[in-house]
Amino acid sequence: MGVRLLVGTAKGGFWATSGDRRTWEVAGPFFKGWRVTTALRMKDGRVMAAVASDIYGPALQVTEDFERWEQLPAGPAYPEGGDRRFREIWTLKEKAGVLYAGVQDAGLFSSADGGASWRAVEGLNEHSTRGGWVPGAGGLCCHALLFGDDPGRMWCGISAVGVFRTDDGGKTWTPRNEGVPCAIEDKEHKGIGTCVHGLAQDPDDPNRLFRQDHLGMFRSADGGDRWERNEQGLPSGFGFPIEIDRATKTLFAIPQESDQHRLPAGGALRVFRSTDGGDSWRSASQGLPSRDFFGTVLRGAMAVDGLDPGGLYFGTSAGTLHASSDLGESWTNLPVALPRVLHVSAWTE
Amino acid sequence: MPEATVSLPSLLEPVTGGVREITVSGGTLREALADLLVREPRLRPHLFDETGGLREHVLCFHNGTNTRWLDHWDGPLSDGDAILFMQAVSGG
Repeated sequence: MGVRLLVGTAKGGFWATSGDRRTWEVAGPFFKGWRVTTALRMKDGRVMAAVASDIYGPALQVTEDFERWEQLPAGPAYPEGGDRRFREIWTLKEKAGVLYAGVQDAGLFSSADGGASWRAVEGLNEHSTRGGWVPGAGGLCCHALLFGDDPGRMWCGISAVGVFRTDDGGKTWTPRNEGVPCAIEDKEHKGIGTCVHGLAQDPDDPNRLFRQDHLGMFRSADGGDRWERNEQGLPSGFGFPIEIDRATKTLFAIPQESDQHRLPAGGALRVFRSTDGGDSWRSASQGLPSRDFFGTVLRGAMAVDGLDPGGLYFGTSAGTLHASSDLGESWTNLPVALPRVLHVSAWTE
Repeated sequence: MPEATVSLPSLLEPVTGGVREITVSGGTLREALADLLVREPRLRPHLFDETGGLREHVLCFHNGTNTRWLDHWDGPLSDGDAILFMQAVSGG
């Protein structure tokens, strides 16, 4: 079975395709000059890509054939006259026929008609703690969204604010950050000020969550009610992406030296994986640049393909692209030098 | 009703499906821009923001005059007028 990667960069999107997950063809760019910030393969087979420009703002584009794109007539939007700006889309998800978009300035929007129209998830966007939401280095962005078995349960992650959970389909949301150190304390609004960078979820137990946070690596066995630190074997608790292989539940993370330096430790590009639910982590970096490498991996720039054995793919801020078809046992460095990689999606075909 | 030609920058080709020139009509510049958004509503979020005005780095010229320098957009439109959108670029 082949794999298609959508690689979103700071200056356009690229396709990387492979029939054997060893040799790759790269094509693009599409949306030349636009940031491609995230993407979704919808249940109906179409691909939705979020694009953004510092000049012209964000939009959603859709393709049925990976070639011809059409901008959706409408997208998430904040009301005219308000102080919020819709700057870009950080995550796109689909559940039970409803599309969700997590955006910057932080907010969540949903569409029940395939993206033709969008409405704000007011319970989150107008949350009582909103006055204490302040942007992190990457902006005030809602970048992660997970779903529970219970159709009413969802989690979202907002950078520099924390994780929120709803149990009533989005009407009400509660911060779920107990056990995670506060990064930016707010005098008035409690329960926020943690800085979630990435979320992953046990495919068989949606309440078992894994969290790459600004201040460490954490996990929760109870849907985020309580978090515990799990960093044994990691060179640093700081990093951005976290992914999980569906079949083996292997976790993957790419730590950085520290939040101050934000570089690969020692100039080595290293992936760390855990095969025991986060109890311990080990490097799985055979074939990756082991010296003189100073690119980093952003939160949306790593993806798994769900095949057996599981494939793992990521791009870096240095424009490099890396692929493993064996759960990180070995790596292929694709012979490309792309713009800064913001996002990687992996789909089988 | 007078007709004007709106010229768009190449970066907006993905928005319009490759169209770079759109004929609009209106008695004033304001009406012409409103007509532009009727003819191509997908342009709205790319040219205007939540303030209701032009995006910060979007420039609009009417017959060579930067519309930011105009007191209002209610001046008359004439047949053959040129409306040009481009991006403001600062720095190198």
